[in-house]
Amino acid sequence: MDANSIISSLTGKFPEDIYDADIESDIRTVAKVKPENVVEVCRYLKEDLSFGHLCCEFGADYPDRNEIEVIYVIGSYEHPVILTMKALLPRDNPVIQSVVPVYWNANWYERETYELFGVKYLDHPDLRPLVLPEDMLGEWPLRKDYGGFPNKTARNLV
Amino acid sequence: MDEIVGPSEMIVHLGPQHPMMPGPFRLNAKLRGETVVDSEVEMGWIHKGIEKILESKTYLQGITIVDRICYLAAMTNEEAYVGCVEKLAGIEVPERAQYIRVIMEELSRLQSHILGMGEYASFIGFVSMFMYTIRDREDVMSLIDSVTGARVTHSFLRYGGVKDDLPEGFKDDVAYVFGNLRKAIDNYEELYSTDQIYKARTKGIGVLTADVAKDLGVSGPPLRATGVAFDIRKDEPYLVYKDLDFKVCTQTDGDVYARIQVRLDEMRESMYIIEQCLDQIPSGPLFPENTPYGKRSPVMRVPAGEVFHRVEDPRGEMGFYMVSDGSDKPYRVKIRGPVYPTLQTLPPLLKGVPVADIVAIAGSMDTCTSEVDR
Repeated sequence: MDANSIISSLTGKFPEDIYDADIESDIRTVAKVKPENVVEVCRYLKEDLSFGHLCCEFGADYPDRNEIEVIYVIGSYEHPVILTMKALLPRDNPVIQSVVPVYWNANWYERETYELFGVKYLDHPDLRPLVLPEDMLGEWPLRKDYGGFPNKTARNLV
Repeated sequence: MDEIVGPSEMIVHLGPQHPMMPGPFRLNAKLRGETVVDSEVEMGWIHKGIEKILESKTYLQGITIVDRICYLAAMTNEEAYVGCVEKLAGIEVPERAQYIRVIMEELSRLQSHILGMGEYASFIGFVSMFMYTIRDREDVMSLIDSVTGARVTHSFLRYGGVKDDLPEGFKDDVAYVFGNLRKAIDNYEELYSTDQIYKARTKGIGVLTADVAKDLGVSGPPLRATGVAFDIRKDEPYLVYKDLDFKVCTQTDGDVYARIQVRLDEMRESMYIIEQCLDQIPSGPLFPENTPYGKRSPVMRVPAGEVFHRVEDPRGEMGFYMVSDGSDKPYRVKIRGPVYPTLQTLPPLLKGVPVADIVAIAGSMDTCTSEVDR
């Protein structure tokens, strides 16, 4: 399977949900996905296109576009193509479906993204804080407008 | 984790700072009698916030930061970070620099595996083995030291090349050290395969099947011990790995013994790779010509774009996702460490094992907690 056939298969199956699909090189493809249907797209990727290896899932904050991107980097144990899939969420209310039912190891990545960016995952089995100390919870420290790194952190520590 | 019921159950906290793991690590195990019924991993003891720090450092300063993600794999961390910038900026690395990078990264893998294997022996009470491995690892560290000038945090790679050339007589030093190390590894293997206590504590313990491992996103030796030949050096070759002859070491059992055996075999492969590199290394420049990037580029700017680059860490798949907005600092860096998914295997693996096997199983993953926490 190569990048071309994967992208055409994906856009053919989900013409509404996948947009801006592009091929960067033989083994790198990018696509954007509508947040409501991310679980179905992931299930199709895993079961039909053998994208069985979720490399990572994380957020990126764009205050000037008022958006938070949730980025899924999905690879495979069978073929070398890696798909970078993005879901664009509004910054004031970022809510998205959890993909834990499909990729089990999204569990910790989603917990981390939740506490660092404030992205709420629906139907996540256990959305508890993972890495932050208790006095920093709810501050979403990896957002760009987080109140002054490192001043705020230092004040918390002392 | 559910509440404890009755006097036969209790929760045991292993760590922070348990000898099982280098670095603060906490595992809460719920025991019924002497059997683990449930467990969970707690993280966040040393959250260094490296992803956030990298956003406020220039690209050149970032190299010193990514070194500190995991001391034992500093060179491969650098390779992943520097490779990202090179992909974004379209820098071509000269062949001699690529060979030097491969040599240093394999030396780094070698010392990491020696320590991982020796440490594991000490977890199950085989402390003298740990002493042997520390002694042998020191020779490899000296080799790295003679090139980079540092023992653990090297800051050796640069965009488009490496900081320094190999010193005079490096090939002879390598030949001398590897001669001793080969004998030592044979000895380790003989000890491991003949020691009855060692076999009783490792064979058939902590069996990870290939399907579960793939589902959890595991990579590196724990995955290869289940029979899956997944190695980024082969699957997605970077640097000059496609010109080198080496095989991906796999085992089929997926238990603790297999994981240690994979590390032993990989050490031999690493030495073989280094020797090939030293034979084949061409002469030439260390930096590409006619580029604005060179040895000193403190305010280099990188074209806007996004890139995901991954390399084979001693512990598995190390990937960096970098977003650049065209300024002299990265806009967003995500570090995909190999230990993060590997630690997620612990709760399912520990279910139903005796309490004495917790250390044997968790230690065999060779996890580096500071890398998980970043």
